Amino acid sequence: MTAPGTEVFAADPEVGADLAAVDWAATPVGPPDGWPQSLRTAVSILLASRFPMWMAWGPELTFFCNGAYRRDTLGRKYPWALGRPANEVWAEIWGDIGPRIETVLTTGRATWDEALLLFLERSGYQEETYHTFSYSPLRDDDGALVGMLCVVSEDTDRVIGERRMATLRDLGSDPSAVRTEQEMLTFVGGQLGRNLHDLPFTLIYLRDDDGNARLAGSAGIPPGHPAAASAVWPATVLTTGEPVHVAFDGPAFGDLPAGAWPAPPTHAVVAPLLQQGDAPCGFLVAALNRYRPLDDGYRGFIDLVAGYVAAGIASARSYQSQQRRAEELAQLDRAKTAFFSNISHEFRTPLTLIMGPVEELRTRLTDADPQVREELEAIHRNGLRLGKLVNTLLDFSRIEAGRMRTRYRPVDLAATTAELASVFRSAVERAGLTFEVDCRPLPEPVYVDPSMWEKVILNLLSNALKFTFDGGVRVAVAAADGHAVVTVSDSGVGVPEHEIPRLFERFHRIENARARSNEGSGIGLALVKELVDLHGGTIAAESTAGRGTTFTIRLPFGRAHLPAEAVATTAQPTAVSAGVDPFVQEALRWLPDGSDGADEPDGSDGRPASTGAPARILVADDNADMRSYLARLLRSAGHRVTVVPDGQAALEAARADVPDLVVSDVMMPRLDGLQLVAALRGDTRTAGTPVLLLSARAGQEASIEGLEAGADDYLFKPFSAAELLARVRANVELARLRTHHARWRTALVDSLQEAFFVCDDSGAVIEINPTFTEILGYGPEGLPYAPTHPWWPDPRADPDGYRQVADAFGGLLERRRGTDTIPVVHRDGHRLWAALSFNQVDDPETGRFAIVGTFRDVTAERYAVQRDSALAALSLRLSRADNVTDALRGALAELRELWQATSALAVVFDRPTPTVIGTEPGPDWDGLPEAYRRAVAAARERPLLTPVSEPKDGVAITLEHPDGTMVLHVEPRAGRPFTDHDETLLALLAGHLTQGLRRAHQLDRQREIALTLQRAILGPAELPAGFAVRYAPAARPLQVGGDWYDTVELADGRIGIVVGDCVGHGLEAATVMGQLRSACRALLLQNSSPAGTLTALDRFAARLPGAVSATVFCGVLDPASGHLTYSSAGHPPAVVARADGRTDVLDLAQSRPLAIPRRAERPEAEYTVPGRATLVLYTDGLVERRGRSIVDGIGRAADAVQRGRATPVEELATSVMERLTPAEGFHDDVALLLYRHPGPLELEFPAESGQLAVTRTALRGWLSRAGIDRMTAQNVLVAVGEACANAIEHGHRHTAGNIRLSASATADDLRLTVADSGRWKIPENEGNTHRGRGILLMRAMMHQISITKGAAGTTVDMRARIT
Amino acid sequence: MTPPLTLTSSRRPDGVAVLAAAGEIDLSNARTFASALAGAVSDDGPLLVDLTGVEYLDSAGLAALLPHVARIRIVVGELLAPVITIAGLTDITTVDGR
Repeated sequence: MTAPGTEVFAADPEVGADLAAVDWAATPVGPPDGWPQSLRTAVSILLASRFPMWMAWGPELTFFCNGAYRRDTLGRKYPWALGRPANEVWAEIWGDIGPRIETVLTTGRATWDEALLLFLERSGYQEETYHTFSYSPLRDDDGALVGMLCVVSEDTDRVIGERRMATLRDLGSDPSAVRTEQEMLTFVGGQLGRNLHDLPFTLIYLRDDDGNARLAGSAGIPPGHPAAASAVWPATVLTTGEPVHVAFDGPAFGDLPAGAWPAPPTHAVVAPLLQQGDAPCGFLVAALNRYRPLDDGYRGFIDLVAGYVAAGIASARSYQSQQRRAEELAQLDRAKTAFFSNISHEFRTPLTLIMGPVEELRTRLTDADPQVREELEAIHRNGLRLGKLVNTLLDFSRIEAGRMRTRYRPVDLAATTAELASVFRSAVERAGLTFEVDCRPLPEPVYVDPSMWEKVILNLLSNALKFTFDGGVRVAVAAADGHAVVTVSDSGVGVPEHEIPRLFERFHRIENARARSNEGSGIGLALVKELVDLHGGTIAAESTAGRGTTFTIRLPFGRAHLPAEAVATTAQPTAVSAGVDPFVQEALRWLPDGSDGADEPDGSDGRPASTGAPARILVADDNADMRSYLARLLRSAGHRVTVVPDGQAALEAARADVPDLVVSDVMMPRLDGLQLVAALRGDTRTAGTPVLLLSARAGQEASIEGLEAGADDYLFKPFSAAELLARVRANVELARLRTHHARWRTALVDSLQEAFFVCDDSGAVIEINPTFTEILGYGPEGLPYAPTHPWWPDPRADPDGYRQVADAFGGLLERRRGTDTIPVVHRDGHRLWAALSFNQVDDPETGRFAIVGTFRDVTAERYAVQRDSALAALSLRLSRADNVTDALRGALAELRELWQATSALAVVFDRPTPTVIGTEPGPDWDGLPEAYRRAVAAARERPLLTPVSEPKDGVAITLEHPDGTMVLHVEPRAGRPFTDHDETLLALLAGHLTQGLRRAHQLDRQREIALTLQRAILGPAELPAGFAVRYAPAARPLQVGGDWYDTVELADGRIGIVVGDCVGHGLEAATVMGQLRSACRALLLQNSSPAGTLTALDRFAARLPGAVSATVFCGVLDPASGHLTYSSAGHPPAVVARADGRTDVLDLAQSRPLAIPRRAERPEAEYTVPGRATLVLYTDGLVERRGRSIVDGIGRAADAVQRGRATPVEELATSVMERLTPAEGFHDDVALLLYRHPGPLELEFPAESGQLAVTRTALRGWLSRAGIDRMTAQNVLVAVGEACANAIEHGHRHTAGNIRLSASATADDLRLTVADSGRWKIPENEGNTHRGRGILLMRAMMHQISITKGAAGTTVDMRARIT
Repeated sequence: MTPPLTLTSSRRPDGVAVLAAAGEIDLSNARTFASALAGAVSDDGPLLVDLTGVEYLDSAGLAALLPHVARIRIVVGELLAPVITIAGLTDITTVDGR
């Protein structure tokens, strides 16, 4: 298919193919194979180039193009355009390009066009395009101009992008920062109107307050155009916030402006004007360039325009509101300044009119009534104060307005300052402060306005005095660094560091600073600074809180720094002006001087009460004039007024005496009004007191603050006298109504016959009634009475009383209710008894509790009870006494306890030397102090039963003792008064004692007889060696009962042992027992067989009433061998506790109790008691316990004996009884008999060596009986032998005498004692030889050895442990 | 009363001199024992003091033995062993275990 010559198109296969397909023969250029070389070359260059190109050749300018041109420009005209005449191909723009081509072909010069707008129709519509191109001539082989080559680049994107960018840039190039909304819209309109290409017309709509869109700006379209009506645009954009694409369709769009284009737009975009965080504030209608597609770039452009408009509107609006606010503030400031200025002026006029006449009156009324004078002075002082305040305000407003008239004159600043300071001297010194003025002459004058300087210095001094309480104030002037330096220092409260920067700020007041007065406006220091500034100077403050403050002013010398027109070169004589007076007057009023109405009479004193019942009113105000005014006013209404200068004083006064009403200023030093209210409300006594606050701070907030703090009412200064009185009356009446029930209660309480009190939860007594005061002497003036209360007994003089009260008081706080009788001390010192009853009550408001109590004086009843109980106690003591001495001792103990006496003694004049009896062993008659003996002897002469009381010596009373006259002497403890009551009681008790002693004396004698008899029937007075017994009768005071024990030494050396138990106990059983015992003893002596003895006793008992069923254990013991024969008549078996810890029960010969008829013979058994074993006989009282088996009891008894088997038998008896005695005592008689085998060895022999062998023999035998082995026995023999030899050789070397040897055994050891009656004198030279060796032997053989040497002889105690 | 004390002087077949005591020696008869000892001791050779028959010997008896320790040998029964031990005579004493 390749036509000849088409190889020329080979450079681009695609376009080349299309070119080849052209019917070139039909064109003026002819078929390709006939083309001249120049054409071929041009075509091949064209096709090979990547740059868009087209060319025209030949007479018809036949069209060629390459692939790049086809893509960028030709569009839909390809491939139709190939081979066609150029004017046909680019017919639509031929008007533009034809002439250019013509020029090229005629002149041969190339053309250059940059960014030429061409409306191409390559995409189906007229499209705005921009191209940069060059036409260059093409010549044929002959050099003739036959065509042209066009090299093109399309710039459409660049051109349109730059155009849009320019619009956005212009919109953002607003030179002014912010403007009004309208200005901003106008500007926007202007800018948008400059780009009618992209925005043929625009409309800006803003949402008005109703939410409707309102046309606010436009560009490219007159505002009156139908399309500008807001209704034609979709208002949904305001709610959705999304842009809408709108086609112009409808009558409103009939005649639209075309903008920069020949034809009007067909579409628009409606874009919202978005605001951050809010609904759109409007929308922008942007008509669209109909020659461009609405692509992303175009949409983005419109969005940015809308964004700019929205931001501009927002910033304009915010600017406007700020502007408005600033202007309002400025307006306010101007108004304020004007107001101050005006009002100050307005004040000055009436002030002048007040002060003039007041001055006049002061001079005219010098002799007037003091109250008139006082009131006049108050008017004058306060007029001055007000004037000063007004002047200060006026100065400010002048400075503010720049209207301060200054006249700087050369002044001797040191002298002037010193003079100004001097007027404060009296005030400072009256405040008790030091005042130092150190003003050194300056080298040259300083230019100041004298009246201003005066204010500077006076303000600083007044300030210093106000805040200084200790130390002093110092003013100094000196020159430094070309400046005059003026310092005002004080040692006052100082300024906290964080407050210093604000010190000179107007109206700034340092809160909570302690000051002499709370008065002040906070402008003094601000004014000082302004004034110093006017002088071109500086002021600085240095301060340490609590240490003081120093203000330093530096003024330049010379006048160069001052405005020339305000400087006067002539000096003026300085004189302290009238302006200082208000400062000094004011300062003086801060100082205490008494004249504040405090000592004026109350209205109740003669003056008629105007309305209502007079009330007691406490007035607190730091301003003396106000205090005095209030006092006068309230007194005139008949009230009783107390005045105090601050809240703290008010609080103290109110607590001391609760007023009916408190009238208090709010701003006060120490404790302000609000704090005072809080403190009063926090105290139960003052919680209900109404408080009326007065304040200069008007406004709802202030009063709410006051009422919240608990104030009852609030009154603003200034107030009229009538208003104050009305409020006072209302509050007093309201409080009275409110406290009606409280007063009723008070009346009720006051009328009580009993003392009444209320304690708070700390125990402090906070309320009492008159009876309380009557009984204790303490009145309401001392309330509250904090514990320890003054009526408590003295802890040293009366510790018991103190403790009793302390205990009762503890109960008061801990228990809900209770009663107590306690000793208390009246204010005058006398002691009384109070019967107290109390109840705790909860206070529902505070959640705390209070104690309400009442008490009666029960002193008289108490003494009656005391007397009765003392008598009862004495009777009891006497009844328990076994004899006269016991009775007396008991009585003395009772007396001593009763009077808490240091001593109670009885002296019985029974012999030439009287017998002294005390509660405990003490000195005898001769050991008593002489004075004491004399006093007692004197008392003996007094009538019986008449107490003699000596203040220092105690009290004595004489009574009859069975053995003679007796003096009873009681010495009460120091501080314990011995009252009439006490004397009566003592006499009564002494009488009682006399009878008691007589009765005891009789009883004594009877008892002695009875005891002798009882002992006679009980048992042997002396026991054989090795025995121990215990006896406990169940019935007291008898010392015998139905049980018995007995040991009978028989003729053959054996010992009969008997333990028996008759039925019952008490006296009856004892008589039976006595007879049985005697019978048994006699029978044993006749018949040494236990069974035989018991058989014989059966017959005896059968005839003796009460003896039937008695039980008896009877045994016969050989103490040498330990052999025992025994028989039991119904008696519990004997027990043997062996040394090896085992127990044997001797129950092999049990049979019936006595006199129970049986045929059987009484049995008899035998037993050998081993060495160091303990035989135990007892009656059932020892082992019987209710509800427990007797076998258990026997086991317990055996155990008790086993536990004590290593102790001597006497100790063992004690420990067994202790172990077995039940807690409540024995219910039955108990007899216990113990025998340890062998019984102890007791030898006494002359101290001669010849006795040693005999002694050894005896000891050897005893050791054998005790079951001691041969080796141990040998050791004992040697040790005892050596001890005896020592006694012979040393103790009795020169004198005759006896040696005593004793040996006893326990289960575990042997105890041996060798005692002589001589003194061992061991010669030095023999000490180390065989006697020394003797002691060595003793120590080696024994486990323990001690040698006791005494006047009566030497005793060697030895112990040998038995292993 | 003086405790029983029998003192027998003899010579064994091997020529050793023997002083045999039987009974008890205490303060009361120690002198007798001492004299017997003094008589029996000689420089010719050691004396054998036979105390196996002595049931009791106290410090006085020991005192009689001590001056002669260099020239005597002692034989005792078990009963006397503790006393001899305490007196420090063990090196010249034989305890007869009979």
